[in-house]
Amino acid sequence: MAQDDYAARLMEDMDPRLLEFIRKGVNSFIKWDLVRFFHDNPHTADTAANIARYTGREAGATEKELLSLTEAGILQTSRVSNMTVFTLATDEEVRALIRRFILACEDRQFRIKAIYHVIQGMR
Amino acid sequence: MERKATGITGLDEMLRGGFLPQTANLVEGAPGTGKSTLGMQFIYHGITACQEPGLILTFEEFPQQYYRDAASFGWDFPALEAQGKLRVVMTSPEVTREDLQWVGGVLERHAAEIGAQRILVDSVSHFERITRDRLGLREIVFEFVNALKRVGLTAILTRESGALFGGGGDLSQDLAFVTDSYLLLRYVEIASEIQRALLVLKLRGSDHAKDIRQYTITGHGLEVQAKFEGQQGIMSGSPTPSMADAFGLAFGRPRARK
Repeated sequence: MAQDDYAARLMEDMDPRLLEFIRKGVNSFIKWDLVRFFHDNPHTADTAANIARYTGREAGATEKELLSLTEAGILQTSRVSNMTVFTLATDEEVRALIRRFILACEDRQFRIKAIYHVIQGMR
Repeated sequence: MERKATGITGLDEMLRGGFLPQTANLVEGAPGTGKSTLGMQFIYHGITACQEPGLILTFEEFPQQYYRDAASFGWDFPALEAQGKLRVVMTSPEVTREDLQWVGGVLERHAAEIGAQRILVDSVSHFERITRDRLGLREIVFEFVNALKRVGLTAILTRESGALFGGGGDLSQDLAFVTDSYLLLRYVEIASEIQRALLVLKLRGSDHAKDIRQYTITGHGLEVQAKFEGQQGIMSGSPTPSMADAFGLAFGRPRARK
């Protein structure tokens, strides 16, 4: 128990804004992939089915995660005819946070902590 | 008359200065002939030499690919994006088609936000995913082209031709009909060597060079050179010596030129 607490405290040793971003936004590996995809391709505007093709994921699971990212304010949607089109949120604060997250992911220690929190969130 | 220069040595001279504003210009060629490079050069030249921001609309090709390709010519696309002069937009033909029919759609918003005047659409071949019907496709491209003009953009639309050598088929003729100009890029085999040929087949509302020019892709982009001489049937991909040259070769008449 004490060891678990120690591990949890160790894993929480990161920028609180990024920790919240992971817990509330990027709390699954598909979402992590999608956030990276939109970071790399910030002017993408497409349907869930096409984004699933671009990211090599299953369409149904991708759509669920895209909608969740939209609820978290990371993406936004628009209706084009009968299609739901996903784009990156235009909010500059959100974009800056995504940039910080992607930059932080270059550090192995941060990635380990982030993975820990994603797995905790998936339980 | 105002022109939208491409910045490509030789091509602007063939186009008598460049494309006409708010026109849609079809560039067709086999893979590797330099269609996307020509389009990127048009966009880059617009931004850096004419203060005309530009959009690149890509179907299925990741923006990272454009950044890499552009960098190989010394064009820093990420920096231009950061300066708000360029946007590389990835989407699909079905979304684009519907999007442009609405006021304030995604593409219109991007164009308005950076004041875009030029666009590269790479490539319209992907519209063939929506329909295989020739008339239907022509109608889709016609609507698309008109929407781009409505937004005030001068466009280069690329289209991949199926054959490595020779013509593009009936579909090319259909699309050429709804666009304002039609440029063909072709591989040509001459004396066991592959060269590249460029022809401006049509430029609506303007005179243009009618000859078939050689071009190369250098470290700075496309460079259009002199016309092919002493050959006929260039656009078939397998030209033969012209009558005069064939006669000279057969009977040993010294050739008048190199």
